[in-house]
Amino acid sequence: MVPLTRFISRSLLAAAFSTLLVHGAGADEIVFKDQENREVKLAKAAERIVSIVIPMASTVIALDGSTRKLVGMNPTAKSAVMEGILGKIFPEARDIPSDVTAPNFVPNVEALTATNPDLVIQWGGRGNDIVAPITNAGLNAMLILYGTEELTREYMAITAKALGKPERIAELVEWRDKVQKDIEAKTKAIPEDKRPSVLYVGRALSDISASGTKGNYNAWYIELVGGKNASSGLNGTVSINKEQIAEWDPEVIFLNAFEAKLDVSWVYNDPILSLTKAAKNKRVYKMPLGGYRWDPPNQESPLSWMWSANLIQPDLFKYDLRSEMKTYYKMLYNYELTDADIDGILWVKEQGDAANYAQFGEK
Amino acid sequence: MTARRSRIARQTLVFAGLLALFAAAFVVSLCVGRFSVPAGRALELIWLGITDPTRELGAIDERIVLLVRAPRVVLAALAGAGLALSGAALQGVFRNPLVSPDILGISQGAAFGGALGIMLGIWGLPLIGMVFVSGLVALILVGMLSRVNGRTETVTVILCGLVVSSMFSAVVSLLQFVADPNTSLPAIVYWLMGSFATATWERTLIAAPGLIIGGVLLWMLRFRLNILSLDEAEAQSLGANTTRERWLVFGLIAVIVGSQVAVSGIIGWIGIVIPHAARLLVGHDHRALLPAAVVLGAGFMVIIDTLARTATAAEIPLGVITALVGAPIFAVLLRNHYRERHAS
Amino acid sequence: MIGLDNATVRFGTRTIIDGLSFSVPVGRTMAILGPNGRGKTTTLKAMLGFQPLNAGRRIAPEIVGYVPQTGTGNQRYRGIDIAVMGRAAHLGLFGQPGSADFEIARSALERAGAARFADHYFDRLSGGERQLVLLARALATGSEALVLDEPAAALDLHNQERLLNLLNALRQPRDRAIVFTTHDPNHALTAADDALLMMPGGQPLFGPVSETITPEHLEHLYGVPMRVVELAGPSGETHRAVLPAFAGTRAA
Repeated sequence: MVPLTRFISRSLLAAAFSTLLVHGAGADEIVFKDQENREVKLAKAAERIVSIVIPMASTVIALDGSTRKLVGMNPTAKSAVMEGILGKIFPEARDIPSDVTAPNFVPNVEALTATNPDLVIQWGGRGNDIVAPITNAGLNAMLILYGTEELTREYMAITAKALGKPERIAELVEWRDKVQKDIEAKTKAIPEDKRPSVLYVGRALSDISASGTKGNYNAWYIELVGGKNASSGLNGTVSINKEQIAEWDPEVIFLNAFEAKLDVSWVYNDPILSLTKAAKNKRVYKMPLGGYRWDPPNQESPLSWMWSANLIQPDLFKYDLRSEMKTYYKMLYNYELTDADIDGILWVKEQGDAANYAQFGEK
Repeated sequence: MTARRSRIARQTLVFAGLLALFAAAFVVSLCVGRFSVPAGRALELIWLGITDPTRELGAIDERIVLLVRAPRVVLAALAGAGLALSGAALQGVFRNPLVSPDILGISQGAAFGGALGIMLGIWGLPLIGMVFVSGLVALILVGMLSRVNGRTETVTVILCGLVVSSMFSAVVSLLQFVADPNTSLPAIVYWLMGSFATATWERTLIAAPGLIIGGVLLWMLRFRLNILSLDEAEAQSLGANTTRERWLVFGLIAVIVGSQVAVSGIIGWIGIVIPHAARLLVGHDHRALLPAAVVLGAGFMVIIDTLARTATAAEIPLGVITALVGAPIFAVLLRNHYRERHAS
Repeated sequence: MIGLDNATVRFGTRTIIDGLSFSVPVGRTMAILGPNGRGKTTTLKAMLGFQPLNAGRRIAPEIVGYVPQTGTGNQRYRGIDIAVMGRAAHLGLFGQPGSADFEIARSALERAGAARFADHYFDRLSGGERQLVLLARALATGSEALVLDEPAAALDLHNQERLLNLLNALRQPRDRAIVFTTHDPNHALTAADDALLMMPGGQPLFGPVSETITPEHLEHLYGVPMRVVELAGPSGETHRAVLPAFAGTRAA
């Protein structure tokens, strides 16, 4: 991973460069490179953005502090928004069209064009078939890449710039950087044998999936906060069986926030999984669902790291997650989180009796 | 007379060999897995499981062997047996060694029910019910489409099966197109590739009645299948109501394949490769062919599934292995088959 | 008894058989004669119940012993397995042939002169050998009616004679109704009591061999001049034989 200082200086340089361009070219023109190294040129700051990429919809809302500039999103993103706290904060999100794309990222060009977007955010690295329809319709596409914290910060920065709010990204990235360094400082010295093995279960209800470490965001923050990835032997995200989980015998299990019907009883009611160390010590947790699901990288990731840190290294980390959440929901969405909101996001009712979970309850 | 006696001796030997192979595969499969249980301990646990099936299971190795491996191996054996049996019966009825249960649209129909169920967030018994019903619906569609002027020609059935199959697979594609890429899409894709990874005693018990009842009834029809494997006119002259009896066979196959697909997704190649191999071993007479296909199919499926769950930390989709192993075997069988025909 | 009563079969606008009536009682043998395309096969199928009738009625026992020309060749069954299939109607849907059924099949193979093929694969037999096995299967049904489709068509002269001897041997006990189709009037003379001539113009002629197999009727039937000659058999008896007087062979 590129050191953050270099990243920040690079983005600052880029910002400076684009400022230069503003003077050189048309009045408000914004020019930047997307993560596929394509040049994206906007006549002025984007006013109407469509995000075909699922987690970016909520990121755009967070970067702008409103839903005004998001004019279209993936149906799956919309369901996440409506099910989560964003639906409550921004009830008007209900009216944002989601027919612009199929869930599999193939755009519906006519519906997309009808929203009259000045910028369409699409996945890079997945072939031209999902990009060509956008560019062929004469629309501006910005391609972003998934996977690491670095890529996340970079695409958040580009998006902020496209929105004409480059200053906004500084506080978001600064926050990420600060929390990351704070955690790193405490976990760096932890010897291997003091790092609990943590299994992140990406899918559970149909088949069970887990991931190797390389290029995997969940594994990255598990290691960041002082755990080790129980499924590090895997290559990519693959299906596994319960016998394999028994063999790994993880000390902590994180369940994904994607499967709405999944909760910790999936582990406790299973004859095999209930015998893992994680289950015996009641260290099974479902990932929270805030402005977006906390498993993949998004604008709320530092909160996700704090939550993980407090659970994986409870003696080392005592983040006051509830007050952090209140502070940063104000910063991200200009919203005053209620205690009930927090209980809902953290599944306090569903898993409040898990080990070390009392700290997240209302004081 | 000696020819007959040596033939019977040979057949007895073949069956003894097949049964031994299956038993070995079954036991070995129970003894291996990602979680290491010493073979001796595993055998002891199996013995305990058989002699005292109601006892409380405490230790992890007991649960692994008796709650994870045992239902999975039993389900794989039942499914393999059912698929091979269905394939053998179908090839006889169609007088065509190249047809398999997919040809009647049952697999794709069942796949549609499953994909829809997964998308609607339905799990467990209702999902299995949906799979089963949609497989039957596909079969009934084929039956209605292929009935022209009150008569059903075999070729029409195959063509209508193809039509219904492509129709259902198009709808499955459509479902995949609209499925949530985070949750239901990978579930649908994985399920379509076929797996016993989710096997439990509960699921095994759900699939077992259909597989066993369908299988036993097909086996009871073994002599009738000989008749139905003759030309239409010959079969009728021998007293068979060919149309009705054929549909009875198709219905039983739908029950078997529907039960199998419901709990373990679409598993290709078994239904076509195993009957071929069985035919080479015991001949075409369904009275010997069906039991041979059952034992061979069960053993083969158990071996394939054991590979799928033990070869790597990740589960290898069954469809991948059955195709990788099945396609070359099939190619060799097919070449031998035609070489022999030309030689005779 | 097997036969048709005022049976009519049409394919589209074409009438293949029109108001055809004949019956073959137990104890008699009938040959169906005629050139290709006059409805021999249709008549046979109608008798067997494979061909639905547009009008009229089929008279037949529930199971008719049917001997097809070649039989299904793509399944590898042994001769005895083929013969025992004749028992199917007695066994029902889920029934299995028992030792009694195999005994019947074995004696049927013997009667058909096919005992030596019991353990041979059917698809490895010659056309004539297959026919014998199929005949055994038809006998194993126990039906009082036996229908053979062109039994001599694929046979050389020697085998034709063997087949005719076999047919006569089956006819001898006078305990079944036998029908066969053939191109050769001599087969009718040798092995049939009655004949059905599929005349041109759709007016078939049905009657005892002595009245129907005559030069005039045969000339009308085939459109070829015919001669009937008397031949002395090996033991002094005389046989009638029919010869076509083809233009090129008139000298004979």
